[in-house]
Amino acid sequence: MSGVIDVSRRAPERLTLLQRLYIPEILRGMAVTVRHLLRNVTHLRNLPTILYPEQKRDYSKRFRGKHILKTRQDGTLKCVACYMCEQACPAECITIVAGEHPTIAYEKYPVVFDIDMLRCVFCGFCVDACPKDAIWMTRNYELAFFNRREAVFGIDKLIEKPGESVKDGYGYRPYYPGDGTHPPRDASAALVVPGDGERQLLRTQGELLPDRSPGAGPLNAPSQAEKAV
Amino acid sequence: MSVAAPPALSTAAERIRARLAQPPLKGKSAVVDADLPTIEADPASWPDLARRLRDDPELAYDLFLDLAGVDNLERPNSKSRFEAVCHLHSLSRNEHVRVRIRLPDASAPSLPSVCDVYPAANWFEREAYDLFGFDFPGHPNLHRLLCHDAFVGHALRKDYAAGQRWFYTENEMRTPEWARETGERAGHFETQTLSIGPAHPATHGIIHLMARLDGERIVRAETMIGYLHRCFEKMAEKHHWNQVIPYTDRLNYVSAMVNGVGYVRTVEKMLGVEVPERGQLVRTILSEFTRIMDHCVCIGANLVDIGALTNFVYLYQNRENIYSLIEACCGARLTVSYVRVGGLAIDVPPDFVARCQGLLDSIPKFLDDVEKLVTNNRIVRNRLQGTGIVTKEQAIAWGMTGPMLRASGVPYDVRRSRPYDFYDRFDWEIPVASDGDNFARYLVRMEEMRQSLKIIRQALDIFPSEGRVSSDDWRVVLPPKDAVYHDMESLIYHFKLVMEGIRVPSGERYEWIEGANGELGFYAISDGRGGPYRLKVRPPCFPNMAAFEKIVVGGTVADAIATLGTLNVIAGELDR
Repeated sequence: MSGVIDVSRRAPERLTLLQRLYIPEILRGMAVTVRHLLRNVTHLRNLPTILYPEQKRDYSKRFRGKHILKTRQDGTLKCVACYMCEQACPAECITIVAGEHPTIAYEKYPVVFDIDMLRCVFCGFCVDACPKDAIWMTRNYELAFFNRREAVFGIDKLIEKPGESVKDGYGYRPYYPGDGTHPPRDASAALVVPGDGERQLLRTQGELLPDRSPGAGPLNAPSQAEKAV
Repeated sequence: MSVAAPPALSTAAERIRARLAQPPLKGKSAVVDADLPTIEADPASWPDLARRLRDDPELAYDLFLDLAGVDNLERPNSKSRFEAVCHLHSLSRNEHVRVRIRLPDASAPSLPSVCDVYPAANWFEREAYDLFGFDFPGHPNLHRLLCHDAFVGHALRKDYAAGQRWFYTENEMRTPEWARETGERAGHFETQTLSIGPAHPATHGIIHLMARLDGERIVRAETMIGYLHRCFEKMAEKHHWNQVIPYTDRLNYVSAMVNGVGYVRTVEKMLGVEVPERGQLVRTILSEFTRIMDHCVCIGANLVDIGALTNFVYLYQNRENIYSLIEACCGARLTVSYVRVGGLAIDVPPDFVARCQGLLDSIPKFLDDVEKLVTNNRIVRNRLQGTGIVTKEQAIAWGMTGPMLRASGVPYDVRRSRPYDFYDRFDWEIPVASDGDNFARYLVRMEEMRQSLKIIRQALDIFPSEGRVSSDDWRVVLPPKDAVYHDMESLIYHFKLVMEGIRVPSGERYEWIEGANGELGFYAISDGRGGPYRLKVRPPCFPNMAAFEKIVVGGTVADAIATLGTLNVIAGELDR
């Protein structure tokens, strides 16, 4: 039959006397292992094994480790509590409680953003799901806890602290500078239309803002009916 | 978007209809065309039908692949609440067929066992008994298989609420009837029962073997599995189509990439989505690397069990290098989650081809070293040659596929029999061996690794340097991030996909590929929602393990350990 090879013919059915004597085969095997030994001794820098806690494996920049919540320039979370990562998570390990921001006009922000690291399977679906570039992963894989409560990471443990370097560097994220994927324009740089709190604040600072009647829509935009009148 | 049936199928369906129209089966079954020719039958005629399908030379469906239970409780317009769906394969005609048996009695679903026709059906029927509560009159050993004996209810029924817990104590553990007897015989040593496992270093995963020993020889054995059961299929029903992908990584965790490819191919076929050439080739290349890894683990661990430790290290070095490549592509070594319905999660890194070339150069050296150490070694020969023999007829009857079947002399490989992706364009050979013993399986796996390297080499030759890896159908694949951040329409597609999942048209599909252990099939039913209504995986090592208790009889305990290694049972896939 074409495309089929019979491998049982490859190895001789019975061993030769020399092979059955065992000693020559031992020497042949020793030659292989000694060759490996010598190569390892002469290439100490390139050993296949690493001395783990002192020396760490070099992972790629796509490594999926502990998550990090990205921040805007002013240090607030980019997250708008849209619940998309919570929904996308196959392990159901993300818990978000949304709140209305007291001062800034962003519609929502997460009051609680918890990731249960014991449930998390590090699949990266939350990073893929985020429409605001708010959650990335890092290369930090050393997550050990003393109890289960400690394994639930809140905003304080997940937020990227300004001025502090990220432990082990960034990992899986929507784009990587320099590998052909273009970093998109900053998702949080889009113009913010002042809402209630901010509008008031700007007025006290002397800014002139047009008055809008409270109609339908998230930003009290004039409805089609009003425009017609 | 409808699932179009290939035109070749209708002739097969026509032939089956003609053969089944003869007495005594006349009028007892109907043949329809779906993605596969589908025979619909009632439970009473199932054993006769099975015998006919196996023995009729015009049909010759000799390989029993799968039995999937289906609960139609939440599917309106279904004719009966329960169905048993079997998939069979004909090695001589190279065709699959589906048999759907509708079980009219919703309160006590029952269909006759076909263990005497297809011995492979044994564990599949126990699984359906366990998870669906189907009764199989005539089954020799109808006990729960995957769930433990203190489990209440049937987990895959739609009215069983997921998340319930049933505690299991040592007292409730079932010991086989024969293992409790003392088994004293006149003029002979008293036989004794030995319990190997569940946690034994040689079982590689949690598998429990009860064996009755006569001296050193095993006279009777029974395997008990399910210690790693987490009901993958129930969890799949609770998630979106894409969310199932991380779960498939944990089926055969030694070759996680292949599982993902097999699963998403099923969904893609239901959707009618085409993956770009570059994406298909990445899947092919990484699947073949994963196959090499799987065989490395199998051979390495098997040789450790019989006392050859050095090979393990050499083979694992390959695995380590391949893991580095996979990690550079997707960010994880073991649980890759790299494929998505419609393509891949992310494009490969720029140095992908160069890294693959590097691996192609390094892997054969380690394989040569292992061959030098092992192939003509007298101890290895004594341990592997002539032990754990599976004849060609047995292998087919027990539903084996993959290296197990090929080592028994049947050149059945899905990549050849039904080429998917680009396998028909590559020049490669199927290694077969005729002996069917442990040594033959070792030789087949060694050669398969070399053939995989050959396939990868050819795939790299035609690998396009640029291009998409995913489909651009935004109803299936997430739009690019830049568009999501700034374009309302893209954001809507993104939102719909994340929150509601992919809308797969209603229907069913069985799609199969060559996993590292054999035929890996996914049988999916969609009711038009964002997630699967029912997803059945046909794990290739399940029939292999079912046959284990028959293979080891007559051999010594030491042979059983060597045999268990060459079966390459991965508990994550076996227990699901």
